[in-house]
Amino acid sequence: MFQADPNNFRELRTTNRPDIILRMTRNDDTGEVFVGSSDAKVYQVDPMVEQPEFLAMEGHTSYVMGLVDTGQYIVSGSYDKSLIWWNKETKQQVRRIEMAHDRWIRNLTTTPDNKFVLSVADDMVCKIWDAETGDLVRTLDSHIKVTEHGFPNMLYAVAVSPDGKLIATVDRIAKIKLWDFETGKELKELEAPKCYTWDPKARIHSIGGIRSVTFSPDSTKIAVGGIGQIGNVDHLAAAGRVELFEVASGEKIHMFEGDDKHKGLVEQIIFHPSGKWLIAVGGDHGGWVQFLDVEKKEVVKQLKAPMHVHQMVVTADFKMAFGVGHNRLAVWSFEPEELMEEKTEEAGS
Amino acid sequence: MSVNTDRRRFLGGAAAAGVAASSMNLDVLKAESLSNELKKSGKRVLLLWLAGGASQLETWDPKPGRLTGGPYQAIQTSLPGVQISELMPKMATRLHNTAIIRSLNTQIGDHGGGARLMHLGRRDEPNLKYPDMGSVLARELGRPDLQVPDYVSFYTATEGRGNAVGQPGFLGARYAPMFLTTDNKPANLSRLEDITDLDHKERADLRDLLSNRFAKGRVSESLGSHNVAYGRVRGLMSSEKLFDLSDEPQKVKDRYGKSLFAQQALVARRLIEAGTPFVKVARAWWDSHGQNFETHLELVTELDHVMSTLLEDLEERGLLEDTLVVTLAEFGRTPTINASLGRDHFARAWSASLTGCGIKGGTVFGATDEDGQHVKDNEIGAAEMFATIYKAVGIDPHHEYFVGSRPIPLVDPGTHAVAEVLA
Repeated sequence: MFQADPNNFRELRTTNRPDIILRMTRNDDTGEVFVGSSDAKVYQVDPMVEQPEFLAMEGHTSYVMGLVDTGQYIVSGSYDKSLIWWNKETKQQVRRIEMAHDRWIRNLTTTPDNKFVLSVADDMVCKIWDAETGDLVRTLDSHIKVTEHGFPNMLYAVAVSPDGKLIATVDRIAKIKLWDFETGKELKELEAPKCYTWDPKARIHSIGGIRSVTFSPDSTKIAVGGIGQIGNVDHLAAAGRVELFEVASGEKIHMFEGDDKHKGLVEQIIFHPSGKWLIAVGGDHGGWVQFLDVEKKEVVKQLKAPMHVHQMVVTADFKMAFGVGHNRLAVWSFEPEELMEEKTEEAGS
Repeated sequence: MSVNTDRRRFLGGAAAAGVAASSMNLDVLKAESLSNELKKSGKRVLLLWLAGGASQLETWDPKPGRLTGGPYQAIQTSLPGVQISELMPKMATRLHNTAIIRSLNTQIGDHGGGARLMHLGRRDEPNLKYPDMGSVLARELGRPDLQVPDYVSFYTATEGRGNAVGQPGFLGARYAPMFLTTDNKPANLSRLEDITDLDHKERADLRDLLSNRFAKGRVSESLGSHNVAYGRVRGLMSSEKLFDLSDEPQKVKDRYGKSLFAQQALVARRLIEAGTPFVKVARAWWDSHGQNFETHLELVTELDHVMSTLLEDLEERGLLEDTLVVTLAEFGRTPTINASLGRDHFARAWSASLTGCGIKGGTVFGATDEDGQHVKDNEIGAAEMFATIYKAVGIDPHHEYFVGSRPIPLVDPGTHAVAEVLA
């Protein structure tokens, strides 16, 4: 099996775009890639080609903030509050749930078996949908809707544990809720308060929140990402921050923080299948990719990305990574450069 | 800059500013207020100052479906064919009282310069200190028979406070603002407990006696301003209760909400009701270079609630007809969205609103292009905006003050009020 090494991670190419690409999904079986955009469209794209063509799927009226591949369908969620099921072949809408949430949809995920789609929105509920029928199965509702300072709370992200037993939801005020998937019962609440900055004096509003969440491959740990405490809330002026918790005890294992050259939000966290290290991506006006070693408890590598990265997907063999973000799509490789050169020569001979 | 407006500082500032006014030779005889009739009309202005620069795209001039438009949708208002941001559902239902101006091009894109321009209505001049809008309105609309402050300015956040210009300029200290920063109530306005009311009156009488003896045979604008300022102290002291919300019914306080901005808007309504001609409530800080949409979700939601509640309250009390409520800032924000999902400073094409006194409700003046990058129709600047505000409350914007022999019109020559939004 290929052993991915962060030291070999490098950018292969980028594609410029006029829009902001916010979400991405890739089917490991078929290699199909779909992206969601600030222009309200979903696109199918092949990032492996030199000049990718973007095939538009129109139906939303605002930013596409959630995008998952259930195997049979692509499902997208938007700030327009709707969910759309798409036929991957015809690119046509199969189903549309107009008011899936009362407020803006922030993200989607699926269960490991792809039988359910989960959506989170600023109505502060997580909804579990039957991926096949679109039926609403359950609603998880206990995040507070208004902060103690009287402002709307925001529900940014959701994850399902690889064993399918747990759901995690994360919000603006840095609360993490763990739920039992089968019963919908809230199991515990964790928090990462440094990820939320409330400025009571200089500017009298807030910034931050937990923007990303994921479980370790063995479902025993949960990682959340955001940004540290900020002095000037006009800007994303603090280092990206990842906090790692033990699921069973709820104890915080470690906090990872990048250096001053890598400020901004952690938009997504991806565990390596070994569970020994993880990738954090995000940014402020610029973007970055960080590698965090769970055993050493340190940031082992940080590098600039060609844009603020909103989402990354890594192939199952961990040889390639694809990222989307501000005005760009990017492709990275974990394969050593000399190996890539050999492959190119073989292909040419 | 932090200004603690207590009684002593008010008097100290009055004396200093009086000297400054005197040195500019304001010709008091030629610079009389417009008319007593206007003062008696009870017109007032309440300015909601959106410090740091609110986004026009997330408030009054949304661009749904454009890359510059951001994620929020536009919603239909009570005006057929007119949409505003979905972040303002409450204002959308009551836009029939409001005029939106979508065509401000004020050119200055830095906080300090933009804020000065939008407080003074004109650019600075090296040898002349212009009064700000509040001082002009205090002078023209203030009623000497009412024992209330003429100009109250709330600015509690520390960021950008120094940009919130409150200067009487050549009008003299009598029209300086009561500037409240750390509390909703003026500090030290109460009479000291160890001085009886009789003592206080007798001290004032003694001060008047000495002052009048000193002034005998002397002609000085600064002396006049100094004495007028002292004369107002007892009036200001008696208005202390206006700043105290403890006697306001709980249901009214609940209606406004718990936020500082909401509480200050309620105090502003009380001051307006009591006859204060100009109140500014600054809500800072809107400078959303990063995470514009989250910041505006917080601040526009608050603005929508507080502003709509304030307008309803004024209307129910029969005050809106004589009260002009203005939203204004130093500039708007860029249509282009930066990589931090922020918007930067933008003075080329932005929006303001006018509601109530003298305004033709339900009008939209001016337009920007489809991406909001440029004004497409009916461009106006700060001078036209000020002329419109003055005209709406019955003040001739071409009225002239005289500094020495130099005539100073209220707004720059050649500018006119926007007739389309005036009733």
